[in-house]
Amino acid sequence: MRLMCILVNEKTRIIVQGITGGVGSIQTKLMLDYGSKIVAGVTPGKGGTTVHGVPVYDTVKAAVSEHPADASILFVPAPFIKDATVEAIDSDIKLLVIITEHIPVHDTAYIREQTEFVGARAIGPTTPGIICPGKTKIGIMPANVFMEGNVGIISRSGTLLYEIAGNLTLAGIGQSACVGIGADPVVGTDMMDILRLFEEDEHTKLVAIVGEIGGVQEEEAAKFIRKMTKPVVAYVAGRVASPGERMGHAGAIILRGRGTAQSKIDVLRNAGVRIANRPSDVVGLVKTCLQC
Amino acid sequence: MRLFEYEAKEIFRRFGILVPNGAIAGSPDEVDSAVRKVGLPVAIKAQVLVGGRGKAGGIKFADSLEEAVEKAKELMSEKIMGHRVRRILIEEKLDIRHEYYLGVTIDQLSGKPVVVFSKEGGVDVETVTEERPEALISKHVSLSRGLFQFEARDICQQLGLDGAFLLKVSSILHRLYSVFDQYDAMIAEINPLVETNEDKIYAVDAMLEVDDNSLFRHSDIKLDLSRRVEDEIKREATKRRLSYVKLKGDIGVIGSGAGLTMTTIDLIKDFGGEPANFLETGGAITEQLMERAVELMLRDKRLRALLINLYGGINPMPAAAKGIVRAYERLRPKIPILVKLVGNQQEEAWSRLESAGIPVVKEIQTEVAVKKLMSTLGR
Repeated sequence: MRLMCILVNEKTRIIVQGITGGVGSIQTKLMLDYGSKIVAGVTPGKGGTTVHGVPVYDTVKAAVSEHPADASILFVPAPFIKDATVEAIDSDIKLLVIITEHIPVHDTAYIREQTEFVGARAIGPTTPGIICPGKTKIGIMPANVFMEGNVGIISRSGTLLYEIAGNLTLAGIGQSACVGIGADPVVGTDMMDILRLFEEDEHTKLVAIVGEIGGVQEEEAAKFIRKMTKPVVAYVAGRVASPGERMGHAGAIILRGRGTAQSKIDVLRNAGVRIANRPSDVVGLVKTCLQC
Repeated sequence: MRLFEYEAKEIFRRFGILVPNGAIAGSPDEVDSAVRKVGLPVAIKAQVLVGGRGKAGGIKFADSLEEAVEKAKELMSEKIMGHRVRRILIEEKLDIRHEYYLGVTIDQLSGKPVVVFSKEGGVDVETVTEERPEALISKHVSLSRGLFQFEARDICQQLGLDGAFLLKVSSILHRLYSVFDQYDAMIAEINPLVETNEDKIYAVDAMLEVDDNSLFRHSDIKLDLSRRVEDEIKREATKRRLSYVKLKGDIGVIGSGAGLTMTTIDLIKDFGGEPANFLETGGAITEQLMERAVELMLRDKRLRALLINLYGGINPMPAAAKGIVRAYERLRPKIPILVKLVGNQQEEAWSRLESAGIPVVKEIQTEVAVKKLMSTLGR
């Protein structure tokens, strides 16, 4: 089968953990409207009810025994997210999209380690999710700013992803897939992992990176970009932002001066990435690169 | 949230890490009894939440009671790197033979805890990384497995420690990891870890930063923002989980999502303006939260204009618009306000704002909003 999208496609069967909450319920409706294949929902204590026609179960195990699933999107409150993700992992769900924000870093680190043990993948936390325009959306992004095409986007920011995808869509340039990886100190999936998937995806002709200050995702991604055959453009937010209070010596010892917007821009440019100074400049760079 | 040195030391002490004998003074009057309790000579340490305190003059020493009182008074009347000194830690002065460094933090890239141990500690520990990498070792730890005692011993042995000394240091390292683990620390650090001429090992400084998002499970840690956050607007913002950074300019910024808010700031600067702040709402906007955010911004007397840049993915735009309108009608600001708002239910939000007389930018490009604001300001 020809892979038409990274990570997910229109056949991906999705469960929603935390489906009965305010946000979970509204976003389930919006995903169903988009055509996403949501097969079941889970909220402990609410088993037997339905949300927008989707059957709700008390446990993930019960849900997947009736409705086999490939992915879970989580709207579970932060204090319960560690439990909920391990529950999904134990039910052999291989893709976890964690929308929840304010998750303790130690919990995210724990979740990441558990997914590594079993070969599963967590996207996020604090992510808008994944959208394959025209096929499926496992996330909270407003659908109207995206259109089908062949630009892959990786973003650490949710709302900035919407702005940049929206700019491209207005210019008639569609997207193969857009993935928000989140910008928490620790994330489930790195920028480099998604770059690798886009490089292998025959539907994607070019990758746009939306980065921001903090961490070393962009710097590490640059190492992989050197080996890529597809063109990459990038926008990095936070040139004016102050570096903030230093996180002690251990952080500085590990970071060694990386993590600023300028460091990211320099490293990416040296790896052959075309840098947009403003979000709207991404359009021009993408147009140029698609012709070359 | 970073703890004060004396708070971190209290936790370290409970975990069996030896710290110098000390007492807290909240005013110069309390210095006398603190010094008597500790015994001369003493170290006098400003309790401020900044790095580089020693170099900034925040640590003094005294051999007599009079000298201690005088130096404590000096410290309490000063600001250390912009921070008022509200409390002073009086500690016994140790007879130092050597300074080491121990730290545990999270390596953001691998998502694993990393233990760092340097044979050369003190104020210049970061230069050791560059100049004498052989004096330093770092090791990743599995979070679900934890750090075993033997792993702590291995780390110490790799740096050439042996015998009773190896056992002592590795046990402190192991305990520090326990603090890191049990307190959801972003960083737990001892710098310097001091070996005295009496062969004892003390944590002479202590740094513990607890993840704000984990405070729901650490009821023993008192948030007490009034002591921790100097700036009033930042304090109020933090209470409501709004993330706020004060900048030097005069254009206020509220945005949904950190990336979009930073971009707004970058563009303001790009078009010749100076942003006054970074204020980000996160993904849990309600009418009340938005009203409060606008109200907080308008307290800032430096502002000449306010730009609000919102996106409706998870955030309900009609509620955001209602909140902005409520604050606008209640406070009747004299400075121009411009709202750029796109996303789910944008039409309803636009009409609410426009009926209240608040100008709205409907284009998706933040550039359009920033340009419009700058021309309103005649810049």
